[in-house]
Amino acid sequence: MPDAIEAVRTQGLFKRFGQQVAVGGVDLVVPSGSFAGLVGPNGAGKTTTLSMVTGLLRPDGGSVHIGGVDVWRDQVAVKSRIGVLPEGLRLFERLSGRELLSYNGQLRGIPRAEVEQRVDGLLKVMGLTESADKLVVDYSTGMRKKIGLAAALLHNPGVLFLDEPFEGVDPVSANTLVEVLRRYTDSGSTVVFSSHVMELVERLCDWVSVMDGGRIVAQGPLDEVRAGRSLNEAFLGLVGVQGDGASGQEGLSWLGATPA
Amino acid sequence: MAGRDPGMSAPDRRWAVPGTVRVGPSVFVRLKLRLVAGNLRGSVQHLLGFVFTVIAAIVFAALGFSAMTTLRLASAEVAGDVVTVLFAAFLVGWAVVPLLAFGLDDTLDPSRLALFPLRTGQLATGMFAASITGVWPVATLVVMIGAVAGLAGGAGGALLGTVAVLLHFALCVVLSRLVTTALSGVLRTRRGRDVLAVSVIFVVLAAQLPNLLLNGGLSADPGAMLRGVASVLRWTPSGMAAHAVADGGVAALLAIVVLAALVAGAGWLWIAALRRALVSPDASTQSSSVRNSRGLLAGVLPDGPLAAVVGKELRYARRDPRGRVGWFAAVAVAGIMAFSLNGEGGPTGVALAVAPACIGAALISMQWCNAFGIDGRSLWMNAVAYGSDRDWRTDIAGRHLAVATIGVPLLLALSLVAALLAGDVGWAVPATLTAWGVLGVGLGVGALTSVQMPYTVPERLNAFTGAAPGQGGIAFVASFGALIGTGLLALPIVLPVLSGLTWVAVLAVPYGLLLSAGGRRVAGKAAFARYPALLQATSRAT
Repeated sequence: MPDAIEAVRTQGLFKRFGQQVAVGGVDLVVPSGSFAGLVGPNGAGKTTTLSMVTGLLRPDGGSVHIGGVDVWRDQVAVKSRIGVLPEGLRLFERLSGRELLSYNGQLRGIPRAEVEQRVDGLLKVMGLTESADKLVVDYSTGMRKKIGLAAALLHNPGVLFLDEPFEGVDPVSANTLVEVLRRYTDSGSTVVFSSHVMELVERLCDWVSVMDGGRIVAQGPLDEVRAGRSLNEAFLGLVGVQGDGASGQEGLSWLGATPA
Repeated sequence: MAGRDPGMSAPDRRWAVPGTVRVGPSVFVRLKLRLVAGNLRGSVQHLLGFVFTVIAAIVFAALGFSAMTTLRLASAEVAGDVVTVLFAAFLVGWAVVPLLAFGLDDTLDPSRLALFPLRTGQLATGMFAASITGVWPVATLVVMIGAVAGLAGGAGGALLGTVAVLLHFALCVVLSRLVTTALSGVLRTRRGRDVLAVSVIFVVLAAQLPNLLLNGGLSADPGAMLRGVASVLRWTPSGMAAHAVADGGVAALLAIVVLAALVAGAGWLWIAALRRALVSPDASTQSSSVRNSRGLLAGVLPDGPLAAVVGKELRYARRDPRGRVGWFAAVAVAGIMAFSLNGEGGPTGVALAVAPACIGAALISMQWCNAFGIDGRSLWMNAVAYGSDRDWRTDIAGRHLAVATIGVPLLLALSLVAALLAGDVGWAVPATLTAWGVLGVGLGVGALTSVQMPYTVPERLNAFTGAAPGQGGIAFVASFGALIGTGLLALPIVLPVLSGLTWVAVLAVPYGLLLSAGGRRVAGKAAFARYPALLQATSRAT
């Protein structure tokens, strides 16, 4: 584990829904400036973990620090420093793309002139200038992910959390997303994103955390985690698919069906 | 596409499928029954709803049938008029109701059947059969048959009457299919559904119209009114069917011929519409841009979260059908109150103007007893930006300011109208002031219920429920809690004004402002403390 400043550190993060333990003591670590992937099978607790880290879901136990600040103690400091794109593309449907971005900027107290300038820039980079004045409800999946990412980037956060940012996105839009994120991390900012898609994680990330059954089963620099194998093979080994029976086959039925 | 072979002379034998069975209407009936059964499987809520529907339909059929047979006790003329009006109501109901419930039944959307190799005629008979398979169609038919028992004289009359009733029933079904099919292209678009969602409110109001007319004392003689309505409807298909049942003879025979022609004509139109609907493109991806205006108020307000929330709320009031329906409903109900309070036995004096205005104010504020409900799944965007209870308080203040922007002038207009109706324009002053005060009180109370008892508002409007499955109870408690709380807290200002101490109205606005500010303060603290729960409660799956 590197001694550099950590962008994200959770300790014993715990969440239970009724009888079911969704996240059972997660110690997630993401070094500052890294492009980090959070991978794991469906139901591993990725979304729940990200929700708790970003202050959208109150943990039942454990602590979350972002840039050394406790998320649930000093929300003002943390929330101005992070950008979030949660799962499910939940956006204000009846605003246009431009209005959605302006709304976000104003909520965060950025001066209007500055907001307008940033909005124009983001819309242009995302290739959304032509659709800027259409309602979000009429956007396609790729457009929604792009406008969501633009909204998350608008206040220039230090750490960006993205839950399944590439799910259901066409290759052209995905490429745009990747380019924006690359540029963002090159400047020293941190990205944490969850994904099923191993090839993507392998291509983009320098740091990987593997979750299974509500716990972190492996974590570290990409090369350390995959240890000479492909990330996919390493992942299958880590989450316990040894090809020893039908249950393992069943558990991976999603893998082939997921579009890259 | 089936049914429109462009002059292919000899079909290639190799394409003939061996052993195909003709797809008759029974297939569609079975499909419909299977869809109904599948919808019930595994869901206690759906099952209970279905049982309730069946019981309601049976009760409706039994009551309707016996009411129709008791028409024998009335004079022939009155009985004929009643049946005429009732048949017409059935016809209109069949045309309109399925439109509002579009999407509840898979057999009704022709686009789902477009890929099957069916001729349009087959499709039409199949969909006709599927549409009459159901508890409500059968109940309608039973009640209509009751008219034969109630009206017809002699065996010949009964025979002709039954034919007329069956034809009228067929006309109901074909007309309803024709309307939904002709509009199905529109209904698949987002914009079309928005328009439809708003139109629900007009249908609900139109249903209130007869009630209003009867209550309003406009017609002292219901008998004369019935005669008037029936005479207007005499030569409509419903009127002809009713008279065919009642009169019998050659006239009935002629009416039957006309009805049959109408059914055939509507059926032909329906097949034409069906043919077009199957091949016309889904227009839902085409959409126009919105005007990129900042709005007057947002230009005045200082830059920041408050202006952002006000601007967003005002846009939602305009663009979200749920917002529009809420405002329409509040104004319409207050207007109806203003009219009906003027009847006998109601209040007198200044109360005639004050009461409707205050009720209007309470109804407007009632919509914000779940202020975060419409944001629902997108509320996280605010939550990731707010880091203190002050932020949440500003958010609620923005919502209140947006409501006031629309509500304050609206209540002024409503008070003026109520005062004019009550007979003294001067009463508009106390009425307006008191109503503004009540609005403030209501918003203060609503801020508390919004945070303490939040629930999800479904994306798709439905006339029967305003909450996600499983949250009906909390929605009920929240709205009634808010109504009772608002009523009690508004008493100190409303009661004196109503009883004639009109000067108290001067205190109403400061009182309302004070209570709404208090509500925001408490609600802001509570919202910051429990916003994760708030997010979860407002973003349930619907």
